[in-house]
Amino acid sequence: MTALLSIRDLTVRYRREGVEVTALKGISLDVEAGERLAIIGESGSGKSTLALAVAGLLAEAAEVGGSIEWQKPRSSHSVTASHFQPLGGRDIGFVFQDPSFSLDPVMPVGKQIAEVARTHLNLTWREAYAKAKTLLGRVRLPDSEAALRAYPHQLSGGQKQRVAIAAAIAAAPKLLIADEATSALDTIVQAEIVSLIRGLVNEDGLTLAFISHDIALAATLAERIAVLRHGELVELGDTDQILNAPRHAYTRMLLDAHLGLDAKPLLDRQGASA
Amino acid sequence: MTVLAVSNLSKRYRRGGKPFAAVDDVSFEIGPAETLAVAGPSGSGKSTIARLVLRLLEPDAGRIQFEGADLLILSGAALRARRARLQMVFQDPLAAFNPRSTVARALDDPLRIHGIASRSERPRRIAALLERVGLDAGLAARAIHEISGGQRQRVAIARAIATRPSLIVLDEAVSALDVSVRGQILDLLLDLQRQERIAYLFISHDLGVIRALAHRIVLLEAGRVAESGDARTVIASPQSAVGKALVAATPRLNRIKTP
Ligand SMILES: Nc1ncnc2c1ncn2[C@@H]1O[C@H](COP(=O)(O)OP(=O)(O)OP(=O)(O)O)[C@@H](O)[C@H]1O
Ligand SMILES: Nc1ncnc2c1ncn2[C@@H]1O[C@H](COP(=O)(O)OP(=O)(O)OP(=O)(O)O)[C@@H](O)[C@H]1O
Ligand SMILES: [Mg+2]
Ligand SMILES: [Mg+2]
Repeated sequence: MTALLSIRDLTVRYRREGVEVTALKGISLDVEAGERLAIIGESGSGKSTLALAVAGLLAEAAEVGGSIEWQKPRSSHSVTASHFQPLGGRDIGFVFQDPSFSLDPVMPVGKQIAEVARTHLNLTWREAYAKAKTLLGRVRLPDSEAALRAYPHQLSGGQKQRVAIAAAIAAAPKLLIADEATSALDTIVQAEIVSLIRGLVNEDGLTLAFISHDIALAATLAERIAVLRHGELVELGDTDQILNAPRHAYTRMLLDAHLGLDAKPLLDRQGASA
Repeated sequence: MTVLAVSNLSKRYRRGGKPFAAVDDVSFEIGPAETLAVAGPSGSGKSTIARLVLRLLEPDAGRIQFEGADLLILSGAALRARRARLQMVFQDPLAAFNPRSTVARALDDPLRIHGIASRSERPRRIAALLERVGLDAGLAARAIHEISGGQRQRVAIARAIATRPSLIVLDEAVSALDVSVRGQILDLLLDLQRQERIAYLFISHDLGVIRALAHRIVLLEAGRVAESGDARTVIASPQSAVGKALVAATPRLNRIKTP
């Protein structure tokens, strides 16, 4: 495999009015073309910051050190390897943690998806709308014809998140970054989205960076798992190794804290009842 | 005594011109210090029920009684007084805050509006609230858009507990939190429930979390109650088709047990 992108010594600091937060400290990581990589870690560990840095979407106030190098795409001859700049929407699809961030509240969702397809795939509006409808079906939105005309506020949280996924894959990007994209979805839809994403990776040669706090979900989807803690990459390995032979105590803690359907209820642990 | 009694609640929307019922004849009750979970597939009506209970939406039919009073006929000062006792944490934290507001401001507002603490006392209260949800007091000065998603969700929980409510509606409030923070928040919710007898209407798609926290569960499908009962019994052996499907699709950690 070849690296789609190489991250070297990436450091990100947020600064505002003298307060400084170091969100990432010297991260080095290769994302292989065509792989499914999960990034897990606790709240505030820097997962979203890493995703935003890769997509070139960090806030102005962020100070970035180190480098992110993209493999020169075979098809484009006009760029030199070290200067290839991926384009958001076309080369990178991004599903944000909070769907209100991805969607324009005053535009019907069909138009938002169609616009991505039209801009990057040179489609007519008519073709782009047909594509949008197909995509809404693929993310399992019921009644995709009616959904095309819905505004975000007319959709449930999970439906909005699925629209955001449809928009992110509309231009068939090389890299899909999904930031907690399925955290608020029920397990049935979640399983369907996971298999949709798996299909896109296998059939369309997509590369996936999947951010999740749910280690069980990450394990069902990813071949490799990166564990972040306090802005540092504490462990990176094959899913199997992370689950069965975690090297870092923090990874073990994450595994042990998983609340599966066989875990002891907290209610019992603390001896409470109504 | 019930904290919340919902009976025969219905809400219709139009989709592509055709009316459909997002919530269809739903009834349930929650007692003091009780946690009722509401689960069901995406689009089954969970958040609509939350919004109806909070009176952010008007139902087409049904009754909602909160602490013995008919919530649907309260207005003005009487409604405001009840509001302090009925709090919420939304699914979509970014949409629930003014993103340019600071964390301190988001917590100061309820303390001020409901007259809970004097101006000089409030900074200390805010610091204590942040500490309760496991956040550093230094976060107070930051803007809502300058903190992580999980930190924002915890600020929302701090805001909900600020007014010492008797019921908190939590809509996917812990879904985006990692296990360690989630464990901390679930412990906090249980502590508050025990100390202050708070009841929770706990909306979640995560059956593992529901099993750990909830006493009873209502399972929805397409706006209707498909099944309800003791949370652990229902999750262990669901009777409805939708219950069976939700349980079967729950991701499991396939680990060889390490010592
Ligand atoms: N303002 C609205 N106008 C039209 N339809 C709406 C509106 N709000 C919600 N709906 C529809 O009502 C149904 C129930 O939505 P609701 O938000 O209650 O679902 P939910 O169970 O919370 O789902 P999720 O798990 O995805 O958050 C959905 O089909 C949704 O599309
Ligand atoms: N715009 C910003 N300005 C200042 N600090 C920020 C900003 N965005 C994030 N941070 C801080 O940087 C750190 C990393 O945040 P990040 O959003 O990357 O975490 P995360 O791992 O995605 O967490 P979560 O699971 O809660 O979403 C946190 O301490 C956060 O408060
Ligand atoms: Mg994040
Ligand atoms: Mg919802």
